[in-house]
Amino acid sequence: MKKFLLLSVAVLFTFVLFACTTSDDNGDDTPGTTPLVIYQNKVEIDDVLSAYAEAWGLANDVEVQVRTCGGDACGYADQIIAEFNAANQPDIFVFEGLGQFLQYQNKIMPLDGEEWIDYTDVAFVYDGTVYGFPVNFEGWGMAYNADMLAAAGVDPASLVNRAAYATAFQAIADHFADDENFNAPVSMAAGPGLTWVTGLHNFNGYLSSGLDYDDRTVIDNLLNGVADNARLEALADWVELLFDYAALPYLTEGSYDDMINNFKLQRTAFVHQGNWIDPNLLQDGGIDFEVGYAPHASGLGDVDSIFVGAPSYYAVNPDGNNPELAKQFLNDMAMTEAGHQYMVVDAGYVPAFTNVELIPTGPLSAAVYEWSSEGNIYAWWQNDMPPGFGMDDLGPVYFQFAQGQIDKEQFIQRIRSEIMDLAD
Amino acid sequence: MEKQVMTPTIKPEVVGKKKPFVPKKRREFLSRKASDKLWFWLFLMPVLIPFLLMVITPFITGIYYSFTNWTGGLAPTEWVGLDNYRGLTSDHRFIYSFYRTVIYAILNVLAINLVAFALALLVTRKLKLTNFYRAGFFLPNLIGGLVIGYLWSFIYRIVLGASGLGLFSSSPLVSRYAMFALVAVVTWQYAGYIMMIYIAALQNIPEDLIEASQIDGANALQRLRNITLPLVAQAFTVALFLTLVTAFKQFDTVFSLTRGGPDIDIPVWLQNALGMEFPRAVGSTRLVAFQIYNWGISRGNFAVAQAQAVVFFVLLSVISLGQVYFNKKREVEL
Repeated sequence: MKKFLLLSVAVLFTFVLFACTTSDDNGDDTPGTTPLVIYQNKVEIDDVLSAYAEAWGLANDVEVQVRTCGGDACGYADQIIAEFNAANQPDIFVFEGLGQFLQYQNKIMPLDGEEWIDYTDVAFVYDGTVYGFPVNFEGWGMAYNADMLAAAGVDPASLVNRAAYATAFQAIADHFADDENFNAPVSMAAGPGLTWVTGLHNFNGYLSSGLDYDDRTVIDNLLNGVADNARLEALADWVELLFDYAALPYLTEGSYDDMINNFKLQRTAFVHQGNWIDPNLLQDGGIDFEVGYAPHASGLGDVDSIFVGAPSYYAVNPDGNNPELAKQFLNDMAMTEAGHQYMVVDAGYVPAFTNVELIPTGPLSAAVYEWSSEGNIYAWWQNDMPPGFGMDDLGPVYFQFAQGQIDKEQFIQRIRSEIMDLAD
Repeated sequence: MEKQVMTPTIKPEVVGKKKPFVPKKRREFLSRKASDKLWFWLFLMPVLIPFLLMVITPFITGIYYSFTNWTGGLAPTEWVGLDNYRGLTSDHRFIYSFYRTVIYAILNVLAINLVAFALALLVTRKLKLTNFYRAGFFLPNLIGGLVIGYLWSFIYRIVLGASGLGLFSSSPLVSRYAMFALVAVVTWQYAGYIMMIYIAALQNIPEDLIEASQIDGANALQRLRNITLPLVAQAFTVALFLTLVTAFKQFDTVFSLTRGGPDIDIPVWLQNALGMEFPRAVGSTRLVAFQIYNWGISRGNFAVAQAQAVVFFVLLSVISLGQVYFNKKREVEL
């Protein structure tokens, strides 16, 4: 009796162990091939990318797996570390600029010599070597409601400096003063959890406004702990103006949805957001007003461009199973019509490649496309700041300013000291 | 067949006295002692192996990593000695988060235990629907902390805010009362669970003691002070330990409710102690666990985060074990 029990427990136990170790073996893999694994961070394109990858896989006789980790439910930055330490590492994954590049450097393969490099200006380059395939173009400025601006007599083309903005904001506030639906000229957010709007996107004005697209002076100085006082004061003036005319109480306690909905429901005439809010604007009946972009007036003089850049890059992992296939996959995305169709029509991206003829259909994406095809763009340097610096060090200072805990002088002083802390 | 096998096991002594076990002993595969040991380890294995793999191994490697420049396996790991720990002594965010966590823990332990004990006293009276009340108070504990945070951030901002019932003119989550808002939510979640512990203890108090005290003319307050409280001291030890430890480790609700905000100036005494020229921004509900997560995940600074976690572990062990030691002294044996 006892022996029988002993035996059955032992059998059960080994069975459990065995079941655990072999559970991921489906048995239907073609022997000798391992699938090409793409590990990406955009939930909203999961379906279309999977469909494109499947079609590409059929044409090239490979199995392609698209795995997605993003949104509120999955933290890409921590999951990717786990993926790197797993047996089946992804072949293609996403990184977002210099900060993450330096962190993942050993997992990113040089891509020199690829055909697509000739057709883009925004490949990720480090020390003269290409490492990243730009996923798309994204851009932000002051997205405006053209109908409301026209009603208030504001010409969007005049919005090139802070004085013009101040006049325009006041004109809009006056014109809609009796409109019960109207809240304030600007939809802005500076609360906890939205520090990427302030600490990254708004602060990028300090890093690139009024500068040439490849001018790294300010960001390089920042990385060495050197602050530019004149630019900081210009930024502070701009932030003060935005906060003064921002919709309350959403400025400090609103959510991302509040921010977009206030613009969508015409409670505000401007929203401080990029073209990624297109899906939000289009859903539930969409919008029945014209939109466009005006530049952020955070520069020293007049400004003539909006911030456009590649938010993230695809990298090829040298420790993956199919680095050569991965390169081919990326090249085909940029060089074939099916790839263009996927990027622009299916995913709704503003393409980062000059050989793409298709024009994006989203209202704000079309506006970004217009600015970028005219070459009126300022660079994105915010992702080149050290991880967490924008959101966890600068964001709180913006919040304190928005809540009135500190004044403009203290705002400048504290941003400056955060920058100075970056000196080694 | 089966009955024949079963009967001797029911009264082993009687059977043992009548029949010596000689033939069976010959068949024994192992000696009695050895076989007992084998059984012991065999039944322990299913929990011991996961425990070693999932708890002890990461714990020890974690301590090792805190002395290195570990980056999560992305770059070669080098030994840096005590550098990570030395950095912590001047890290105003880490020190402040510890200070806030202590305040939070005190508020939270008081609030939860007071509410839980009060609820337990209520639902152990002879009321109608007692079980319904017990289930109702316990229910929030079945919802995950993350969900509760999102739920209450909606309640605070919309339902109780200016656009709803108008209880708050601005959301308490971004005001100086954010800590209290957090404590209220966690109390709502956790008090039902602790209440169950107190109910069990209250039901164990012998009726005769209560009756005796009533005959002696003790009023309700006297009974509570001199009979109920000393007799549930054991439950207090357990409940205080649980609430203290969970308060210190609080992460999920902070993450979804306040995100560590709102940001405020570091207190003047801490600013002076750290030799800062002017106050810097710190998150008023950024508790230690959230701070460690932030340092590791958001900033990719895993080794420093690991050092913070080790310091956290040591301090929490000292505090919670000290608490148990002192509370044990007050317990009464029946």
